[in-house]
Amino acid sequence: MQLVRRGDTAAFEVVYERHATAAFSLAYRMTGTRNVAEDVVQEAFLSLWRSGARYDRTRGSVRTWVLGIVHNRAIDALRRSMVHDRRRASDEGIEERLESGDRTDVEAARRDEAREVRSALAGLPPEQSRVIELAYFGGFSHSEIASMLDTPIGTVKGRMRLGLQKMRGELNGLAEAFA
Amino acid sequence: MSCEHRDDVGAWVLGALPGDEHERFAAHLPGCHACRRDVAELQMVADTLPLAAPQVAPPPELKERIMATVRAEAAVLEAAGPEADAAPGAPVPAPQATPERPKEKRRRWRLPAIALRPIPAAVAAAVLIALGVGAGVLLSGGPSGKTVQAQVVAPAAPGARASLTVADDRATLKVRDFPAPPSGRVYQVWLKRPGRPPDPTTALFRVRGGDATVDVPGSMKGVDQVLVTAEPDGGSRAPTRDPIIVAQPA
Repeated sequence: MQLVRRGDTAAFEVVYERHATAAFSLAYRMTGTRNVAEDVVQEAFLSLWRSGARYDRTRGSVRTWVLGIVHNRAIDALRRSMVHDRRRASDEGIEERLESGDRTDVEAARRDEAREVRSALAGLPPEQSRVIELAYFGGFSHSEIASMLDTPIGTVKGRMRLGLQKMRGELNGLAEAFA
Repeated sequence: MSCEHRDDVGAWVLGALPGDEHERFAAHLPGCHACRRDVAELQMVADTLPLAAPQVAPPPELKERIMATVRAEAAVLEAAGPEADAAPGAPVPAPQATPERPKEKRRRWRLPAIALRPIPAAVAAAVLIALGVGAGVLLSGGPSGKTVQAQVVAPAAPGARASLTVADDRATLKVRDFPAPPSGRVYQVWLKRPGRPPDPTTALFRVRGGDATVDVPGSMKGVDQVLVTAEPDGGSRAPTRDPIIVAQPA
């Protein structure tokens, strides 16, 4: 990241290569639209390129930082374009499509991590996983979710907290390692 | 023993607190040990959630588009000389311009006169970066001039203060006992001239430990208000929130 801050395009390219799939996957999962996901990733990486100096390594990994920017930009895009109304709530039709070139040890390790996270999420009571997914991937606020599910806001917030706490127990050291 | 904001923690780390609640919780957090601990624990979980998304490779054209912009901006930075690469000092914000979205006609940057029309937008943005850094360097000598207290609109942080010093047509903003920006946001400085919407600046900053000193890039000529808003990471081209600081240069 130091090199990126100095305007080293090759260093930036390495960062892009390393995190682009995770970034695009998150943006695609959130917006459900390829074009919007591409715009989100483009915005996020250009923002990263222009602000490399603001990355603080004590506050988490580069991947967490990159994905945090992607997440925020995707929420902005959702609210801007009202993709909410058009996108499907399920993942139907989206399959795992990693190119063969990506099947390195690092990618294999990531797939293991991904399985662990999906399993922890799927292992939650449905009412907890639902509010977490709607909030994180859907970009909905707690009041929007409460209205969609016809559930009091306090209950929605409680389910978010309880669900995340339970996931933390399931993920053991992964969450710490990811930070 | 638990805090009344206890249930806000999950919604906070998931980004699901609406604007006003988000602000309240952001102001509450620094003073609540229990919530800070819970946020730290649950944030780590929230950070793993992207892994739950089905993995989809981005199209190669996306990389080509991004790298084309990056290379063009790097060329301009290089042409701007070594100062453009120098960090202007610890508390000074990093040089930055907002990302552009070529497919959308959005509110445009008000570029300085030297950003001539034929320059591609990406390069023009990079010119702005270089100018922003230049301004920071110019001010690093220690400005003397007229200082005014700024109005701070942060009800949740009653002790927060801000002042603006203008010297030789350049301004420096200082904040004290100031809250950190909400998660995923950064403070951005704007220059407001009468009858016009606020002009964005490249001055983006965060606050740690309550204090920060920010050199404001750009001339203060005709500026009647210096504003600060909390914007999404990377900054904005037009304010997306109400100002948290309003300073009127003397």
